[in-house]
Amino acid sequence: MVEEKIKTNPRQTSSVPALEATDVTMRFNVDGISKTVLDRVSFAAYHEEFTCIVGQSGCGKTTLLNIMAGFLAPSEGQVTVMGTAIRRPGPDRCVVFQEDTLFPWLTVRENIAFGLKGNRKNSAQHIKDEVDRFLTLVGLADYRNYLPREISSGMKQRVELARVLILKPRIILMDEPFASLDYRTRREMQNLLVSLWQELSQTIIFVTHDVDEAIVLGDKIEIMDINPGRIHEELHIQLDRPRNINQRDFASYKDTLHRFLCD
Amino acid sequence: MDRNDDTRKITRNILPWILPSALIVLWFLISRLQIIPGYLLPDPITILKTASRYIFAEPGSSPYAGRFIHDTAASMIRVSLGFLLATILGLPLGILSGRVAEVNRFFNTFINGLRAIPGITWLPLAMVWFGIGVRTTVFLVAMAAFFPIYLNAAAGARQINPLILRAGAMMGVGRVRGSYAVLLPGAMPHIMTGLRLGLGISWAYLVLGELTGVPDGLGAVIMDARMIGQIDMIIVGMILIAIVGKLSDTFLITLLKISFKSARRMP
Repeated sequence: MVEEKIKTNPRQTSSVPALEATDVTMRFNVDGISKTVLDRVSFAAYHEEFTCIVGQSGCGKTTLLNIMAGFLAPSEGQVTVMGTAIRRPGPDRCVVFQEDTLFPWLTVRENIAFGLKGNRKNSAQHIKDEVDRFLTLVGLADYRNYLPREISSGMKQRVELARVLILKPRIILMDEPFASLDYRTRREMQNLLVSLWQELSQTIIFVTHDVDEAIVLGDKIEIMDINPGRIHEELHIQLDRPRNINQRDFASYKDTLHRFLCD
Repeated sequence: MDRNDDTRKITRNILPWILPSALIVLWFLISRLQIIPGYLLPDPITILKTASRYIFAEPGSSPYAGRFIHDTAASMIRVSLGFLLATILGLPLGILSGRVAEVNRFFNTFINGLRAIPGITWLPLAMVWFGIGVRTTVFLVAMAAFFPIYLNAAAGARQINPLILRAGAMMGVGRVRGSYAVLLPGAMPHIMTGLRLGLGISWAYLVLGELTGVPDGLGAVIMDARMIGQIDMIIVGMILIAIVGKLSDTFLITLLKISFKSARRMP
């Protein structure tokens, strides 16, 4: 039954992918020896689709994400956004990092407003309204004037999320953003992310090593091999949302994923 | 609980003054008991009298009387000019060399070589170049203050968390906004250290510059007093430099904190 689902993809035929990686290969030189980290990685993320990339630590997930973000240039192959090859980081593809990358000298409110302030077309009133709206969306209205060092790591991740969502990027790239959170906070953040994604309808590419997390979040899962990093399989998840790990068929997806990962 | 806090607060406020007060008491005892004769170390009362004459008395009523304001103003102008020059050169250059490897390679050897020359050895050359007076002093101050400002700005810019820069880039920050909205605040703790060290050393080189025989300034007074054997005036000069130097440091910190969020919100 699950195998059958792999083949069906309702969105694939509909339009140009929001983001497409074509034969992305990445080699690093380590002590004069060339090491292939990514080997001809190809996949497409469609509009408003939630794609998870799953693989063991060291399979090149983060490298792939950095290439998609424009922080790294691939050795071969290319990444296109709406059919145009990317060259540098840009606000059309925002990244939510795993680490704390908030500006420590700005308050929660100022961190969230930072991206909007870069555009002179945004009036002060517009920025204020938007920041207020997103503060409420991520549940941090009461913490607007706190500094990053004064709030918990779960709250920091909410700020990271809000400062990216407020820019309404076409694509959001997420690099194990909840990996350092405790179980409960992680579940809260997953639910928050899904509800924000449904409300704001963006394209999300979410890197994780956590199989449960990938099934709870993703419309489809790209499963990566290690050494060299390759896309092994694409798995479409057709569970009703909101999802939880006790849902029917959850376990069978999990089995399939584990099987692919251990191949 | 509250009482504990109060005690702690009082302790915290008293602590810095214990050592200076003890030293003054010791000094008082030493001169009163004639352990060290007055012509080598005058007693605190004499110092106090000399200081008050220097600061408050009618000018001309005795040597150095009432010259304090004029001397301090002269010294402060020299320090400010030299320090400003060092900041204008050292800060941008330091940040640039901390971020751009080529700039660092271009300047590093030269600047570290220059730094190896003791600042005092510039004095003879500066006197030939600029004569005696403001320009020599400003040159010496700028020369000395440049290095800590440059080196700390470079270290600060180099040690910025690269992920913060990435975060800026992905939010669409360009080079110009990146410099003042991400780079400068990110390097602020180091920049502040560099500026404070630079200002501190500025006062040291001010005295060096003023020892060459300029007519006014706190350093000039000290040198002048030595020639006519007024030990008390030398000590007054030293103490006043300490006080003015400390105040200028506080002023610098306050100014930075008023001007920059990143300075205000440093942990």
